[in-house]
Amino acid sequence: MSPNPIAQPEWKKRADMKVLNTDLRRVDGEAKATGRAVYSHDVRLPNMLYAKFLRCPHPAAKVVDLDLGPVSAVSGAIHALAIESEETSFLGQPVAAVAAESLEAAEDAIRAIRVEYETSGWAVTEEQGLDPATPSIGRRGNSFVDRETGDLDEASAAVASADVMVESTYTVPVQHHCCLETHGLVVDFDGKRAKVWASTQHVTGVSQQVAGELSISTSDVEVITDYMGGGFGAKFGIGIEGQTACRFAKELKRPIHLMLDRADEFLFSGNRSGGRQILKAGANMDGRIVGMTAEIWRHGGIARGSNPGQPYIYSVESSHMQMGSVHTNTDANRAMRAPGHPQASFAIEGIVDELAYALGMDLLDFRMRNLEDPVYHRQLDRVAKEVGWYEHGYRAEPNRSRGGKNVGIGFGISVWGGGGRPVCVTSVRIDPDGSVTASTGSQDLGTGTRTYVGAIAAEEFGLKASQVIGRVGHSAYGPANGSGGSTTVASLAPAVKDAAHKAREQFAERLASWLECSAEQVRFEGGEVYSTAEPGKRLSWAEACSILGSRPIEASGEFQGHLQTQGVHGAQAAMVEVDTQTGALKVLKMVGIQDCGLPLNRLAIRSQINGGMIEALGYALFEERVIEPWLGYALSANFNDYKLPGCKEMPELVAIIDDDDDRQQVIGMAEPTIIPGHSAIANAVHNACGVRVYDLPLTPDKILMGLTKKA
Amino acid sequence: MTEFSDRDSKPGGYTRRSFLKGAGTVAASGVVAQTALAAAPETAEGRALVPRLAGEVEIQLEVNGKTQKVKCEPRTTLLSALRHRVDPPHTGTKLVCDQGACGACTVLLDGEPVCSCMTLAVDAQGREIRTIEGLADGDALSPVQSAFVENDALMCGFCTPGFVMSVTGCLEKNPDASLPEIKTACSGNLCRCGTYPHIFDAAVQAGRQMKQGGTK
Repeated sequence: MSPNPIAQPEWKKRADMKVLNTDLRRVDGEAKATGRAVYSHDVRLPNMLYAKFLRCPHPAAKVVDLDLGPVSAVSGAIHALAIESEETSFLGQPVAAVAAESLEAAEDAIRAIRVEYETSGWAVTEEQGLDPATPSIGRRGNSFVDRETGDLDEASAAVASADVMVESTYTVPVQHHCCLETHGLVVDFDGKRAKVWASTQHVTGVSQQVAGELSISTSDVEVITDYMGGGFGAKFGIGIEGQTACRFAKELKRPIHLMLDRADEFLFSGNRSGGRQILKAGANMDGRIVGMTAEIWRHGGIARGSNPGQPYIYSVESSHMQMGSVHTNTDANRAMRAPGHPQASFAIEGIVDELAYALGMDLLDFRMRNLEDPVYHRQLDRVAKEVGWYEHGYRAEPNRSRGGKNVGIGFGISVWGGGGRPVCVTSVRIDPDGSVTASTGSQDLGTGTRTYVGAIAAEEFGLKASQVIGRVGHSAYGPANGSGGSTTVASLAPAVKDAAHKAREQFAERLASWLECSAEQVRFEGGEVYSTAEPGKRLSWAEACSILGSRPIEASGEFQGHLQTQGVHGAQAAMVEVDTQTGALKVLKMVGIQDCGLPLNRLAIRSQINGGMIEALGYALFEERVIEPWLGYALSANFNDYKLPGCKEMPELVAIIDDDDDRQQVIGMAEPTIIPGHSAIANAVHNACGVRVYDLPLTPDKILMGLTKKA
Repeated sequence: MTEFSDRDSKPGGYTRRSFLKGAGTVAASGVVAQTALAAAPETAEGRALVPRLAGEVEIQLEVNGKTQKVKCEPRTTLLSALRHRVDPPHTGTKLVCDQGACGACTVLLDGEPVCSCMTLAVDAQGREIRTIEGLADGDALSPVQSAFVENDALMCGFCTPGFVMSVTGCLEKNPDASLPEIKTACSGNLCRCGTYPHIFDAAVQAGRQMKQGGTK
């Protein structure tokens, strides 16, 4: 037992907070708005070479001949490497790479490479994947079932005996992450030590992987991610681009700049898996869903795909689920913002709506009857009020009028964990000149990590957010977990709080004799330091720091489990307008509510909620990977043919932080905000005109086809 | 009018026609490029053309009020010239799609927003080029830049320079621009993080400020 036990760090009460739980401006906003922020793409080193990949244009092929010889004749080209010289297994797989003095010369060099391919059977669609003539893609065959829950006979009987029964097949396409900064990195290796600038969601992991590729120790690799242009789940490992940059760096002893081009990004840097879900469900007149069977097929290309399973968040008395995958010769899916959840949401929210309509029940009331957690009840009620549901005329049946523009409303809900892990080691330093630095090796994907890291320390010392420098994205600042699963804030914030708390205690100890009080009596408030014994005698922060002399305060912090928790909920509503003559669809309004425990930066959280709704709007209306099924051509590997939502498609967006959640612990919330928006939009389309579109995206032709049938 | 015109043609130089063909041949990609390259040697003009494509010429670009001598190939885009060939490199302007589909590379050319990835460097000669680096006056941000920071109109920040330039181009012409007009001005810019609503707030605020302050 320590004779002088140190108090545990605790978050202040929300009412007492001056910095956290307020709207904080991003501390790096200025660097981003002036173009001064240096991303990996922007790194320029003397003697640097630009590397580029040659992609296989076929879904699968034998590489009969790969001739890198002509590259040597290309002006500015320095070196070429074979990446895959035997056979390729997915469309766009890299087969060779070049390094050249400029990007233009690298493009010339890529064009100079001669490859002879031999193609035989391949699959780019589910049907082709299931065709016995298609050569085997995965080790377990081209389709397999790997998850089954519940009793099929029991669930089927429950569905059959219900008062109403519906059966539908819901399909979702492959969606792309579309990080505006492509994957890639710059590797500067002198034979012993390496400095790496990486566009990554995991600085710590990159240092370990690069060390492995270069056969040096991790401590000899410095990784910098000052800024990165979006991740959304696709940027964890160093990937083929990291391995290739390291090969070039090792062989050429020159800095290598290898950032993927846009087509690379679409074809081999991951995606959200598509899939097909066949749901049968039955409900009784009392509004309870009594039975459900779900057959789920994930489309993850050469990977497995993802889906959390059905009936997702809803309570069903008896349910059965069978889940499998169908492989195709397309890029492996990767984690993408709430992996699998938007897919599951689309099917379940659709079938829930169908059951409510079959019973003639209010869509919101029916949802609440099948949701146990009261948080959803309050959140659905809130978004319903905000979107105008209670004044809406079509709450239990869709508007079937034709000829004009109809307005409809739809709903969806989300769930997420968002808890932390004991990985981060952080530090907080107070210097005699009054400067305060809070540092972490964790990265800022655009979520605002840098801002809250500084803000946590500012709150601790009674300073303004701008008085603390938050440093992120450097391997030397300590280990940190990858930014996945919305785990960053709950892993990192407690460790920063711990370091700040310890630094404050040390500082109080040092100041106690000067203030002629005990350490426990020292207070840090409003940029001043004083003793509760003599509140009139105050030191400014700068004066207090100057007392430190030549010995700064430096404290290290670790994960503190009690400062975080997990389990968040969200609800969203969408209001749309459908032109019943043309099928044209316009989203008028989206409302999203999200709980997140203790909010750190309210402004950044609202930005995240908006971002989730907008990404879901893209999934609903536009986004779809298209591959020509007979020739296997990639038809959507650029931003002209793969449409993202833009300014003209923006509805009114209302982002609400659920302040009824009074948990005094931090929880991650970025991912759930993308889960239900497209489901709400699809349901709103049906509500507006009685047309249910079962396969995303909700393009006008599909709506028009439905309108034609119902007429 | 660029310096490459038929009238300017001289021995060993370019004609406007051959230059455009050359640029087109190299700038194209995939099947088209292979076909074009294969076809080029079939004609006398094509034979004469191919060796010229690797050559660099020195041109002058006026970037943010400063004249820069830049070595460019005919195919060099203004984006590539800014990011790689001017000294120091102006990397605030971002390469995202390289085909005019996302607006991340937007710069102002004589006050008009253009995609610098779709503009040849040689075509920017004699024109006033303004980039994201040229908006702030030392540490003082432009009204549009300040409004972006205040309204959290940026998340990862990679689309931000392009949006700031589009909004600046719009508001400098008309600080009274309505929200629909601002949306039209930015309709060529894409953001994946989803900052649009805050960008709209920022643009409206900046317009108000520019109207009151008369500042650029």
